[in-house]
Amino acid sequence: MASEDEEFTMLFQDFYPSLCRFLECLLGGRAPLAQDLAQESFLQLHRTAWGTMPVGEARFWLYRVARNMAINEFRKSNTRYRLFDRVVEVMRPRARNPEQEYETQERNAMVLEMLQTLPEDQRTALLLREQEQLSYREIGQVLNISESKVKVDIFRARASLRERWNRVSALSKCAGLGN
Amino acid sequence: MNCNFTEKVSSLIDGELAATEAHEVEHHLLSCSECQQLRADFLNLRSRIVNFETSLPPEVQNPALKKILARKRAVPARGLRWSFATQAVAFASLLIVAAIIGLLVYSGNRKPDSKQAAVVQAPSPVPAASAEPSAEPSADTTKQPDAKASPEPPKENEPAPKGGDENTPRRNPVKRPLAREPKPGEQFAAIPEIPELPEHVRSADAETMTALHFEKSETLLRSFRNVRMDEPGAAAEVKYERQRARQLIVQNMMLRREADAAGDVQVSSLLENLEPILIDIANLPDRPNADAVRTIRERVERKNIVPLLRVNSTALARALD
Repeated sequence: MASEDEEFTMLFQDFYPSLCRFLECLLGGRAPLAQDLAQESFLQLHRTAWGTMPVGEARFWLYRVARNMAINEFRKSNTRYRLFDRVVEVMRPRARNPEQEYETQERNAMVLEMLQTLPEDQRTALLLREQEQLSYREIGQVLNISESKVKVDIFRARASLRERWNRVSALSKCAGLGN
Repeated sequence: MNCNFTEKVSSLIDGELAATEAHEVEHHLLSCSECQQLRADFLNLRSRIVNFETSLPPEVQNPALKKILARKRAVPARGLRWSFATQAVAFASLLIVAAIIGLLVYSGNRKPDSKQAAVVQAPSPVPAASAEPSAEPSADTTKQPDAKASPEPPKENEPAPKGGDENTPRRNPVKRPLAREPKPGEQFAAIPEIPELPEHVRSADAETMTALHFEKSETLLRSFRNVRMDEPGAAAEVKYERQRARQLIVQNMMLRREADAAGDVQVSSLLENLEPILIDIANLPDRPNADAVRTIRERVERKNIVPLLRVNSTALARALD
């Protein structure tokens, strides 16, 4: 039992930040909600499925469960969450200097904004590929779709983001802001 | 984007192309500026997504872990209920499987019993008509082992083997209780029923016995054909043939039944033709007159039985080899 908990702790420490980031990108920000969902995913794993699958499989299991939770959140009304998240974000303690923090926030906001323009399946596939570095086969396993669909989804997501990015860059140049 | 390689560029930067295909796309990239730009943009997007920093504060992680582990410990009742339910389901499944296996075994054991009972009961009517009920009081199931262990087994009544019998290739036939020497006056009635044997045993055994029977019958008929009626000791000569015919009648009837049951029309019809001749020879008086012997000989010649016996016994013996 102790060793099981140790293994679980190792998995949690390694993977919890990644899962939070994945969920945050998927949810378009809303970091507290992403952390809650990541924690709930780990809780479910620990309660029901831990010990019944290899650790490598547990990672995919967590992605799947977390994604389903995020989709459920999409279906709910977003208003109160957004308000609550903004309050939490404002009250969050700042560790870095304000300038760095601002740059990071701007960069993150742009990425999140662009990602939110994508359909959910393309966004998930792209995030799993770029951030989590899963192969097409592994992404297909998590999302329960074929490898060819993964390939097409990722390509379309990239093409769409590229087009948007180029448009935003062009607008910025026209406005004399640059990037 | 008009280039056909755009989708492959996406797969290329993911490392999802086969070596030859990747080489082909890279070669294309050398000459296609559009795809070069595409790859650069895709990689730029990648770096932006990868560099997305989560706003997860470090002090959040450990409390979250402690919370999960604590909640796991705080719900032992649920785990207990689950494990109990699992055990209960497993036990119930085990019981169901055991019941099904038991039912199958029971039904499997019952079928042979009922079949055996039917086979064992079948012989009872025939021996009941025996002319010597005192000698063989009953032919029920308890009688069968006695018949096998009888002090007068079939071989005891057989005459000394002839040369033809010994030269014939044969298998050791399974001893059967019905190959019993009928006593005078009961040879047609007291024929015990053939016990039911498995099909493959009966088939091979029946063929062996039929081949031997044909040989013996052929020898008998040849012997009978050579009886010299004009000599003074002719009656004594017929005595051996008569005894031999009586022995062969029983076997002939048994084998004819088996051939009928097996659908072997050729053997069955030959045995059917042979049977009245054997009966006639067996029923000859001690001192038969010449006409009776001649009549039987003529029937044998007319029906061409001796060559038929020779052909069939040879064919069967070859088949058994």
